[in-house]
Amino acid sequence: MTCSVGPAGEAAVRLVFKEDPTPDLTRVLLVIQDKAQRQFHGALTDSVVGYTTLTLFFEPLHFQRDRTEAWLFDQANVTQLSTLSDSAPAIRLPVFYHPSVGPDLEWLADDKNLSVDQVIALHCEATYFAYATGFAPGFCYLGTVPAQLMAPRLATPRSRVPAGSVAIADLQTAVYPCESPGGWRLIGRCPQPLFNLNSTPANLLSVGDTVCFDPISETDFYAMGGAI
Amino acid sequence: MRALIIQQAGIASSVQDGGRAGTLQLGIPPSGAMDPYALMSGQHQLGHLQDEAALEMAYADLIAMPTHDCHIVVTGAPVTLLIDGQNVNPTAAHAVKGGQTLSIKATTTGIYSYLHITGGITTEPVFESRSTSPRESIGGLEGRYLRNGDTLPVGPFQNKASKHNPLLDLPASESTLSLRFVPGFQYDDFLPSSMTALLEADFCVTPSANRMGVKLSGPVLDSGIESLLSEATCYGAIQVPPDGAPIILLNDRQTVGGYPKPGAVISSDCARLAQARPGQRVRFVSCSVEEADRIQWLEHHFVETRLQ
Repeated sequence: MTCSVGPAGEAAVRLVFKEDPTPDLTRVLLVIQDKAQRQFHGALTDSVVGYTTLTLFFEPLHFQRDRTEAWLFDQANVTQLSTLSDSAPAIRLPVFYHPSVGPDLEWLADDKNLSVDQVIALHCEATYFAYATGFAPGFCYLGTVPAQLMAPRLATPRSRVPAGSVAIADLQTAVYPCESPGGWRLIGRCPQPLFNLNSTPANLLSVGDTVCFDPISETDFYAMGGAI
Repeated sequence: MRALIIQQAGIASSVQDGGRAGTLQLGIPPSGAMDPYALMSGQHQLGHLQDEAALEMAYADLIAMPTHDCHIVVTGAPVTLLIDGQNVNPTAAHAVKGGQTLSIKATTTGIYSYLHITGGITTEPVFESRSTSPRESIGGLEGRYLRNGDTLPVGPFQNKASKHNPLLDLPASESTLSLRFVPGFQYDDFLPSSMTALLEADFCVTPSANRMGVKLSGPVLDSGIESLLSEATCYGAIQVPPDGAPIILLNDRQTVGGYPKPGAVISSDCARLAQARPGQRVRFVSCSVEEADRIQWLEHHFVETRLQ
């Protein structure tokens, strides 16, 4: 695989693979992240897997750039996937798909010459992979959305997207874990919390997870703790 | 309960310590004091050795009352300090009696000032830090900026106050602030003319500046990149959104982003930038990564030596 290693500011190194993101590439990045945590544990203060990148942050007084970059480059070239690495079952998220909670649902159906039910069926039939987390605590970038549902972001983001909103942008989908501004197209609402400081771990979804959406009725949505 | 009662909070006051580590993958920023040198200076003067939290004030306009006898010191952006209406030396530590009123007001330079109180502010830590991340509603008091009437819990008294001032204050702002940066990330993708502009033109701090980042005005930078896959940001990352105006990402930054970045400003210059008011002229200076690592190492070593 083609890759390069470089700085991400001081006392930080960044590995980037020059190829398209795939679940297997993400799994390689996760394996290297795990190795880095063992290799550097006290000196490594933080690390982040992105779509095609791994960024490692270090304690400045315990950081040797040459050795660290060389180690990371080696790992990028030797790390192999174990064939058993993708056995975890998909996490199933319930979604109430309805214009009352998905203001872009009817627009999306019209735009794609589909019925609302077809949009829902397409969104639910795919199994999504968690490529990255961030933007907000518990926010997880999921791909890949069926090409028939690909939708551009809003030109002007909404100033307020309610917590639990299920959204599409380009070929990505996600659930907004908390109320925030946002430019993705909203098609439904998930009653299940994605981030809770009182649970361990606090986040429901992690990079490398697989996720499926299940349509639920309004009654089920409220019964599961959903609120509008 | 030992407490600090906030009678008037000012525009953006929050509980901050040195910030949290290890939460980036969760989407939680480090947060922490925007001027870490000012935070450490005050902690040292009160004999705080455990990264005790202080009250960060942006453009300070605070009235507060401790419920008990304590020592206080204010660090960071220069302020006027009154105790029960009497002007006192704003850069020295003071003994304050329970029920006395502290009035702290910003002067004409800098942005972030820190009120330290013996024992530190002891709101509940989240991921081992008391720092407030307001956007994520995490840490500090209910994860938010302080309001009039709030009560902050204060830790047990430790009579170690009035150590010498370690003089970690940032130098007074120059007419043009140099922002040394390490090229990286998508540097090679930017148009060469944009990178020439980045290095040769003056930029200016705009009013769009807060704990998340500082937006600069100046020549429009063109990354030549239509879309980028989300990846980790970092402290000081020079993020260039489609409008071409760079934003320097600071403590409450989003942990990942999809905007191109030609590099990252070194951390000691980030602290200076955080204290720069709108209108401050800045200029980017390219810095090799080896030099940047060395500067950061020396600064950390210097700070540790100063604090002994």
